[in-house]
Amino acid sequence: MTDFLRLLFNSLETGSVYALAALGIVLIFRTSRTTNFAQGLIGTFNAYIAAFLMLRFGFGIWTVALAALVTAFITGIVIDTLIIRPAAKVSPISKQIITLGIIMVLIGILPWFFGVDSMTLPRFIPTEYSLTIFGANLRYNTIFVIVLSTLLMGAMFWFIQFTKWGLATRVTASDETTSKLMGVPTKTVTMVSWATAAMLGTLAALFVAPRVSVYANMLLTVQISAFFAGTLGGFSTFFGPVVGAFIISFARNFTQFYISDIWGNVLVYTSILVFLYFKPYGIFGKKPTKKV
Amino acid sequence: MSKPILVLDNVCMYFGGLKAVDNLSFTVNEGEIVGLIGPNGAGKTTVFNCITQFYKEYTGDIYFINNDVKKDLRDIKVTEIINQGLVRTFQNVELIPDLSILDNLLIGAHNQYETGIISHILRTKKAREEEQVLKEKAYEILKFLNIFELKDFYVKGQPYGVMKKIEIARTLMSNPKMIILDEPAAGLNDRETDELENLIYEIKKKFNTTILLIEHDMGFVMNICDRIVAINFGKFLAMDTPKNIQKNKDVQEAYLGSDA
Amino acid sequence: MKILNQIENFFGTLSKRLTKHPIVPFLIFGFVIASIGFLPHTGFIRWGTMGIYAYIVIFTVVAMGLNLLLGFSGLISLGTAGFVGAGALGLGVFMNMGIPFEIAALLVLIIAGSIGALIGLFSLKVEGIYLAIATLFVGEILRQIYTQVEIFGGQAIRIGTVRFLGFINLSMINQTQRSFLFLIITILMVLMMIIMHNIVKSKTGRALMAISRSQHAAQAMGISLLKYRLTAFILATLFATFGGIMYGLYFQNVPTTAWTLDLSLFVIAMVVVGGLKSIYGTFLGVFIIHGVPNLWLKNVFGDISYIFSGILIILVIIFYPYGFIYIWYDLKKIYFKYKARWSKKKVTDHE
Ligand SMILES: Nc1ncnc2c1ncn2[C@@H]1O[C@H](COP(=O)(O)OP(=O)(O)OP(=O)(O)O)[C@@H](O)[C@H]1O
Ligand SMILES: [Mg+2]
Repeated sequence: MTDFLRLLFNSLETGSVYALAALGIVLIFRTSRTTNFAQGLIGTFNAYIAAFLMLRFGFGIWTVALAALVTAFITGIVIDTLIIRPAAKVSPISKQIITLGIIMVLIGILPWFFGVDSMTLPRFIPTEYSLTIFGANLRYNTIFVIVLSTLLMGAMFWFIQFTKWGLATRVTASDETTSKLMGVPTKTVTMVSWATAAMLGTLAALFVAPRVSVYANMLLTVQISAFFAGTLGGFSTFFGPVVGAFIISFARNFTQFYISDIWGNVLVYTSILVFLYFKPYGIFGKKPTKKV
Repeated sequence: MSKPILVLDNVCMYFGGLKAVDNLSFTVNEGEIVGLIGPNGAGKTTVFNCITQFYKEYTGDIYFINNDVKKDLRDIKVTEIINQGLVRTFQNVELIPDLSILDNLLIGAHNQYETGIISHILRTKKAREEEQVLKEKAYEILKFLNIFELKDFYVKGQPYGVMKKIEIARTLMSNPKMIILDEPAAGLNDRETDELENLIYEIKKKFNTTILLIEHDMGFVMNICDRIVAINFGKFLAMDTPKNIQKNKDVQEAYLGSDA
Repeated sequence: MKILNQIENFFGTLSKRLTKHPIVPFLIFGFVIASIGFLPHTGFIRWGTMGIYAYIVIFTVVAMGLNLLLGFSGLISLGTAGFVGAGALGLGVFMNMGIPFEIAALLVLIIAGSIGALIGLFSLKVEGIYLAIATLFVGEILRQIYTQVEIFGGQAIRIGTVRFLGFINLSMINQTQRSFLFLIITILMVLMMIIMHNIVKSKTGRALMAISRSQHAAQAMGISLLKYRLTAFILATLFATFGGIMYGLYFQNVPTTAWTLDLSLFVIAMVVVGGLKSIYGTFLGVFIIHGVPNLWLKNVFGDISYIFSGILIILVIIFYPYGFIYIWYDLKKIYFKYKARWSKKKVTDHE
């Protein structure tokens, strides 16, 4: 029971992190028609900024987190205007490769800006604040992560479903050229999507940082899981990837605990690949129609 | 005397609730040039896609009769259709832009290669000879179409008229019994259209093929076709000689109705 | 003017002859590269520098495989590093079991090729964008296996002296033998270049392009998507694995941790920056992405290979989408344009 509850809390927390990252990826997929492989690195980059500010100036975690979210917003806009817009016309695969290029640039920049020593970030709520349920330890920070992510995602769904800007995002996602003709400001929509996605990625990074310290590949697992979540749930909806994120987080935590560390991972990855073979567009996804 | 080569029997094709082809039956005879006409969205391209098995979900039957062997095309994979002697072009030119014109033609001969990838890697004598034979064949077709000098240029950047010719040339590489052309004259100017008219006659004579074509240019269709099938909203309207089709009330209405 | 025309004529006939016998330029190219293997003996370059060239030679083969996918078949793979690792580590595992080099290499190729076929099957089901993600997972699974499964020896697997063809002992440690190893991998590279050339100029190459450029035309012409997607992935994995085998053969000590997503990204950079669909372009790309930072830039700027490659990828895709190899064609174009303008001017001057 204790183990089970511990795994449950843990899965909910990592699931939230995966879901945030996955939402960022879907948002960009829907507005820019590309899978942003740099999502993780953009978050990492801004987590570095937070850790750096803390180390250098001694600010608290809440202050640096806020600062990192602001820089994330800027990073998103810069990437969109300098790189993604000019490449609007290239083929989907080339666009993907461009985001791979962004990864390389960011990995290269990190040691230049922040040195090679790894840094750390503390939890938002210190570890000593926690409660015990049936012998399982539940940190307030965990609750905070889960609640904040849920609220954020709820707000995003509401925004996308019920506001004018949300509508603009959805139509841009379904057909950019037509949307542009109909007077939807697709440029702004795309730009804001990149900025938002960068902030989501950064939040994921800030949540993960206390467990793994701040280093270049800190979000690699999160990012891979987020992609899994997206493909599993289907990129054509916004909620599919969130569901996928929790499925993966639960599957990984439980297999790792009950089977083994690596083989659990390999097992989860492989079974999802097999699942995708039979349902390539995910649980909720639809096959796009093609004309001859 | 007239032997059927292609038979459509009560063919229906739905897209969701939309009946794109509705109970269509007609027969094309060997050696004929048949036109398939109808207003925009009448379902002409869909008929072609059913014949060439790009769509398999149609109901009814489509038969192809080659050398007195009658085959239900539904039993044949889309990639095997060309082996039956049936080959098509597309409404939106479908060529490989970054291959030379010659290589595009060789793609039409894809299924005639007997040598496999290992012989190609080793460049065995047989592989080289085979490639040479097919190249010669391509040269001949290119000369016949008056685009031989362009053979080593990329398709990308060629004028539209040339691209349309390349697509036809590619079909000829496969020794077809029957060619299906989807709007071969679309986008051509008057001079090019006249040239195409002659070309299609010549092809029929020289390669001994049957031709089924979709075309909006009525002058072109009336000049060239032995018989014409008219459809509207996926439904059969009439099949007759060009003269009679012109006089047909239903056809007139379909066109006038869609113009209005 | 006359001299210019003579030079043009000379190169014109030369290039005509060379394209008639495409193998000859590959051989000449291989000869030039192979000679690098003997320069360290003269003191011209350092032994470490030769290692960089060896890496370039090896990754030319790997990147050619990816070029078959990316350039010809319009498919992407983020799992390349996993297969290079499979080649190198697999070779090590089999050879440490006492299996001779050649048979070990063959076994590794067969195993990796089968995995490639599986990915090919998978690729039939998913759209291009999803495919990248799927290959990412395959690469990730392989990486996890290498670093965590004991059979691969933890940090690295030692191969040691290779008995080549059963009687030639080749060890990395002996300098003469190392030059000989360099010669062998160069020969293997040239061999793979010729194979690649023969494939892309054959029915297979055209079919690969057809399935990516126009799926409908391909199907109507009788080209099976299944067969050629499989072919593309099998070939790409075989090339990558072959590169891995060359790595094991030359370096004789294979780390288990090197086969990461980052490495796959570098290989993509090589293909994109050098030139899609071009064999010499692939070599050029490997040279630019691996050679330039490690041979020259490192001494001045420190390790900037990541930034350098990343920026090049972005710039090339936006501004020069066919890659650096096409500079040659553009130069030729500019030359003829200026020549035409110049000779016109001369004519008008006379009038
Ligand atoms: N893949 C598809 N999915 C859904 N509807 C389709 C599809 N293909 C065609 N349709 C619809 O079926 C109808 C017939 O289309 P089709 O392309 O066959 O017409 P057509 O006669 O070739 O027209 P045109 O002269 O414009 O080429 C149209 O209403 C079209 O919108
Ligand atoms: Mg049509």
